[in-house]
Amino acid sequence: MNSHRWRRTLLAWAVLAPLVVVNLLPFAVMFSTALKPAAEVLVYPPRWLPSHLAWHNFVDMWKAVDFGQALWNSLFIAICSTALTLAIAVPAAYALGRLRFRFQQSYKQFLLVTQMLSPVLLVLGLFRMAAAIPYDGGSLVDSKLGVIIVYATYQLAFAVWMLAAYFATIPGDLEEAAWIDGASRTQAVLRIFLPLAVPAMAVTGIVTFVASWNEFTVALTLLRDPALMTLPIRVVNLVAGRYSVEWNQVMAAALLATVPVAVVFTVLQRYLVTGLTLGSVK
Amino acid sequence: MLPWLLIMPSLVLAFGVIGYPFYEIIRLSVSDVSRFGQLRGFVGFANFVTIATDPIFVAALVRTLVWTIAVVGGTILLSIPVALVLNQDFAGRGLARIIVMLPWSIALSMAAIVWMWAFNADYGMINATLRQWGIIGQSVQWLARPETAFPVEIGIGIVVSIPFTTTIVLGGLSSVPGEIYEAARIDGARPWQSFLHMTLPMLGPFLNIAIVLNVIHVFSSFPIIWVMTQGGPDNSTHILVTYLYELSFYLGRPGPAAAVSLVMLVIVFGATALYMRLRAKDGI
Repeated sequence: MNSHRWRRTLLAWAVLAPLVVVNLLPFAVMFSTALKPAAEVLVYPPRWLPSHLAWHNFVDMWKAVDFGQALWNSLFIAICSTALTLAIAVPAAYALGRLRFRFQQSYKQFLLVTQMLSPVLLVLGLFRMAAAIPYDGGSLVDSKLGVIIVYATYQLAFAVWMLAAYFATIPGDLEEAAWIDGASRTQAVLRIFLPLAVPAMAVTGIVTFVASWNEFTVALTLLRDPALMTLPIRVVNLVAGRYSVEWNQVMAAALLATVPVAVVFTVLQRYLVTGLTLGSVK
Repeated sequence: MLPWLLIMPSLVLAFGVIGYPFYEIIRLSVSDVSRFGQLRGFVGFANFVTIATDPIFVAALVRTLVWTIAVVGGTILLSIPVALVLNQDFAGRGLARIIVMLPWSIALSMAAIVWMWAFNADYGMINATLRQWGIIGQSVQWLARPETAFPVEIGIGIVVSIPFTTTIVLGGLSSVPGEIYEAARIDGARPWQSFLHMTLPMLGPFLNIAIVLNVIHVFSSFPIIWVMTQGGPDNSTHILVTYLYELSFYLGRPGPAAAVSLVMLVIVFGATALYMRLRAKDGI
């Protein structure tokens, strides 16, 4: 490496240093506190390193928080809402990216407007609607189904945009060749188009999964029963309005709730970044 | 017919789960609503008058303006140099990129919890580190005092918005051809001159879009403030969304809450219209 590049490297890291520290700090805090024995958490002055690694925090936390139940709720809701989003977005994106129809431009603008609406702006109306719909002996409040439907709705616009942008890049000749060979339109779509669209659906699915997994406001509003709560709500409830907080357990729970998703997101980022910006910039 | 069949499910879902709550909020905003949600008749603009004369609402409205301008402004100002650096070729760029993008992968509510603990007055690592370096003598009650709680939340708002914004700016930079810099350098332009007269104008459309999208996101961003301070202490960190949530589900005042919702929706629609015009104008 020449001296020129060395200087540039030094300068680059010097400029980025404050941001690097700020971005890594939450992870350092999580690891540090999650692995501290309970007796060392509330000690003044606090230290970064525990006297020994208290792996047992994770076991205690798992029982105290009923982590398994919350993990299952989060997984179930994220998987179902992702499946529902894709089931509705794939046909719509096919129409938008591959076909020509009247009001296509209006449909695009409609999607754009709904993409800008955060559910929190309509949260009162959403709650009243869910409360008014009878379901399973109660209403859609305190049901996973209610949350799943709301997630799918508010992720739909983004998913359609992203899929349509990818679909437009899949060449149509292959399908046309299949028609000439006597395949019906449906057969051509199922056998030729869908296999080619799998990567796009995977990327979109991962983004919607992560968004559902991380969502806070709708889950906070619609899920009141602790047995139904998702991970973020469970973890926030360990802190909100409590006098004594078991911070080592809270950080252990936060760590388990964030790190797997952060790793997946980071590994796939190269592929995601294009897609994430497609909907907004291109 | 086929295209309509294909987009029909998405229209049904959107009209049902966005359209109906929207209608419901309009209806509530012009009704006298009991704390249990019963509608007791049409009251015209009474709920809007109620919020307009509510000092907490007016303060939250002003604070929302400060919050949005500070977070979006700070994010843009920091994201440009970060993107310029990441656009260079240097050792460890891949790692740097991953670290810069890290906040994107964490749920806002989880980030808020961790920062809340880091800013804990007695046992948090922020105070501990600042004391150790001799920057502060005594522990600062960061989140318990109005003067510090809101700025801390603005700072966190900026940190979590940088990844998305940097990504858009990087997209803009990749569209700038490298040869023009070479040409400018040969013509004797200094690096900051090239930046001011070449890079910045070409980034223009991308920055516009980053600003408008950030304004819309930040304006209706709920988890950070709700988790860290719930609008407190003494209502000093309420922005419109957190006050709206408190009115709806804690103070039992659905009528005024619906009025706040509607005011916010009108602002978002306005910003969205601006966004669509920008996209049409710049052709991206």
